[in-house]
Amino acid sequence: MEAYIYNLVNLIAIYSILAVTLNFIMGYAGIYSLAHAVFFGLGAYTSAFVAQNVSASILVSFPAAMLAAGVVSLALALPALRVRGEYFVAASLGLQVLSVTIYSEWKGFTGGIGGVLAIPPVNILGIDVFRPAAFAILSVTVLVLVLLIVNALVHSSFGRNLRAIRDSESAAASFGKNVPVIKTISVVISAALAALAGALYASYLSFINVESFTLDTSVLVMAMVIIGGTGTVAGPIVGAAILLILPSVISYFDFLPQTEIGSLQQIIYGLGMTLLMIFRPGGIVGRRSGT
Amino acid sequence: MLAIQLAITGLQTGALYALTAVGFSLIFGSTRIFHFAHGAAFVIAAYFFYAAFGAGWGVIPAIGVSAFGAVAFGLLLDRLVYVPIQRHEGSFFTVFVASFGVGIAVQNVIGMIFGRGYVTVNTTLSRSVEVIPEVYVSPLAWIAIACAAVFLGGLGFFLKRTHTGMALRALADNPELVRTFGLNPRAIQAAAFAIGSVIVVPAAIITSATTGLSPAIGHHVMLISLAATIVGGIGSIPGTMLAGVMLGLAESLALLVVDTQWTEAVTFAILFAFIIIRPSGLLGRATAH
Amino acid sequence: MLKSLKITTAVALTALTLPAWAEDHTIGALFPLSGPNAVYGDVFMAGSDLAVEHINADGMLSGTMSIAYEDSQGLPQPAVVGMTKLVNVTGVPYTLSAFTGVSKAISTIGQRSSVVAVNGGGVGPDLAALGEYFWNVIPLVNLEVRAVVPYLTGEMGLKKMVLVYIDDPFGQAIESELETAFEGSDAELAEVLSVPVTAQQFSGVAAKVRSAKPDVVYVASYGAQQIQIVKQLRDNGVDAQIVSYSGYITPDALALPESDGMIVTGQAVDYASEDPVTKRFVTDFKARFDKDPTAYNVNYYNATLLYGLLAAALEKDGTEVTGENLLAKRLEMKTFDLVGGTVSFQDNGTLLSPIEVKQIKGGATETLDTVEIGG
Repeated sequence: MEAYIYNLVNLIAIYSILAVTLNFIMGYAGIYSLAHAVFFGLGAYTSAFVAQNVSASILVSFPAAMLAAGVVSLALALPALRVRGEYFVAASLGLQVLSVTIYSEWKGFTGGIGGVLAIPPVNILGIDVFRPAAFAILSVTVLVLVLLIVNALVHSSFGRNLRAIRDSESAAASFGKNVPVIKTISVVISAALAALAGALYASYLSFINVESFTLDTSVLVMAMVIIGGTGTVAGPIVGAAILLILPSVISYFDFLPQTEIGSLQQIIYGLGMTLLMIFRPGGIVGRRSGT
Repeated sequence: MLAIQLAITGLQTGALYALTAVGFSLIFGSTRIFHFAHGAAFVIAAYFFYAAFGAGWGVIPAIGVSAFGAVAFGLLLDRLVYVPIQRHEGSFFTVFVASFGVGIAVQNVIGMIFGRGYVTVNTTLSRSVEVIPEVYVSPLAWIAIACAAVFLGGLGFFLKRTHTGMALRALADNPELVRTFGLNPRAIQAAAFAIGSVIVVPAAIITSATTGLSPAIGHHVMLISLAATIVGGIGSIPGTMLAGVMLGLAESLALLVVDTQWTEAVTFAILFAFIIIRPSGLLGRATAH
Repeated sequence: MLKSLKITTAVALTALTLPAWAEDHTIGALFPLSGPNAVYGDVFMAGSDLAVEHINADGMLSGTMSIAYEDSQGLPQPAVVGMTKLVNVTGVPYTLSAFTGVSKAISTIGQRSSVVAVNGGGVGPDLAALGEYFWNVIPLVNLEVRAVVPYLTGEMGLKKMVLVYIDDPFGQAIESELETAFEGSDAELAEVLSVPVTAQQFSGVAAKVRSAKPDVVYVASYGAQQIQIVKQLRDNGVDAQIVSYSGYITPDALALPESDGMIVTGQAVDYASEDPVTKRFVTDFKARFDKDPTAYNVNYYNATLLYGLLAAALEKDGTEVTGENLLAKRLEMKTFDLVGGTVSFQDNGTLLSPIEVKQIKGGATETLDTVEIGG
């Protein structure tokens, strides 16, 4: 039972990092990205590659993952500068679908659908961390660090600029804010921090393949943010915890056939998203009833 | 010969894309509702046909059941989800998320009822015949192209010549104008959903016989519809049709140069390029901002 | 451990049903229970459940045996999550696995935690090289390819092949295996076309197949997709002979009218064998399911029975039933009486078996030839 709980803690921490970083651009900069799984994946693949070929040390593989995701996130920043709203959602969708194809086909790096096998455990100061309990300490620490960074950013002048842009881009520009630079930086930071989740994920499961980084994952992470509460501090973590605990809770109902649990979970979170948007668009943690 | 064959295959795919995308484009263009559950309407239409036809109801009654399912779904969604959200001035994103949620729920409910695997409606119409040496075309391809011509032509006529049609076109630009003509914007919005949903029926039925159905197909349908709407130019029905056919052709002809697994990427590379370079699309007037 | 203490605690803890405390034997299974490949899950379970029933009925083990099923959906990612749960939470020493991608993905965990994984469904040749804790009770597809290519090019005189394969470890393995099989022969592998795992639209692929003018088309995919490929090839005017492997022999695929005349291969199981294990299996299977067993039913029956035989032997020795000891026992015992006769494992943990070349006729298969394969 203990191992099961640690397992859950690790998954919640990893997905919370994704939700927190997505919330950073969604909630504060108004950049509604459906391509977050791309950076999750890139972080995972890069850290796996580095761990297998260079060093499994956390000081090498994790920064490498962040660097790769930060650079590639410029591909997402580009449409973010050009368009807003539905156009940007479409652009991020396009990027997501393209990336899945690339992840499936670039077999030298990603192993295609077969994935990357036998990823070495992450090494911290000479110690291999892989047991669920030990790993939980690591994953929660990284989550706390990410939270601190995001929180500091949101409450700095940079965060105020972001919100100004979200509310009115033209007004922010007329106040002399450098809108393109601020937007680009926020996307890069979000992607680089999301890559940490990927790096954790790869070393924890020791196996990754493209199925973890598809549109479904992007949607799941977006659902976590929205259900928890867009633009709040605790919302994304609450959302991640709810959506990851849900399947275990459902599986307690013995009368439900095992094979339908996945579907039921999806129906519940699908309808949950819809009902929240009708009755409480601010999410569970959100303060405001309207947007 | 391969090029001709692929062009014809692409035309068939493109006709289906156009038929599907036009419904989304009409709804989005006139009501500004980001109806992501349009893919779910397609899935419902297809599975209702599959179930009714499989139960031995005959083609015409099955088409009726399919159309009923799609229209009922569109109208209910409008009434129960979109109208309440609009009441509290929901942003584009609120609507999108609500719609997305419905799409996920429908996919899984259908999966629980009909199974998550592929199902196919068996008909001899999907069997190709050689029309010119080495070029094979199935009767369904002609049916698809004919359906596209009839339905899209009909839609064009309806939008240009009827009161409701003109009101639909006016709704996007100026809801007040609609009201001054004595029409109820809410009723016009419902009409947009009814028409936008029913027009997926031919594509859904033809798809069920050619490539088969799975509950997850709605996702793909929606992505294509979105791509065609944006590439064609938001608010432009002819643009969407053109873009639908173009994407179908591109996907098929791409096989001349790239491997099969890249075909979907071709569609989205085109979409991505359009958003960066020409966000207003092929025939669009509106700008992206 | 003290037996009386164990029993008392087991009684006290029955409500919690923690397998580590009870004398009950629980093994794991990672089968596709949902998703497009769920049809295989039912077939596999028919075999494994029947074996559990027989083991319990015979009192082969000191406690009751059961299987903890986890849904892999036939995909690597859910399988890793399920395997983590089986190893860390349920604490099983032995798991049943299926599908090439799934098996490769879970093999690391098995090797790391000394848990045996036994495959009876996946046929990718790479499965022979996943470490000592990974066993196969199924002949891998390289044997099938080696058997069918000479038959096609020799007996049937079909010299020009096009391959349509799924772009995953299984499909890639078939591709490289076919390349090897055609090397140095007078026949040729004219074109290879890969399709993505999620693809369902194959009219373009069919056009490319046709333009290559093959005598024979090899379809290497599984589940719902392989049926779509065959149907759409035929729909789009491909008349050439179609060939596939053991994974094609499923009820859905056999029922497809377009499957008629296809050549398929599969392991040869002598259902008419007089040995008691085979006889009992065939009789009970027919009585239960009212149809003839397939090779998959046999394989998972065998995989489960194998655990029963090994665990019973360990109990007799008074040794604890762990993955490590099961492996040692298998290496010690070497031969086993399973369905289809007495079998032995190769050093890499894989069974050898003769291969049948069959043709689909009217929804059933007819054997054309049986090929003996040397180690």
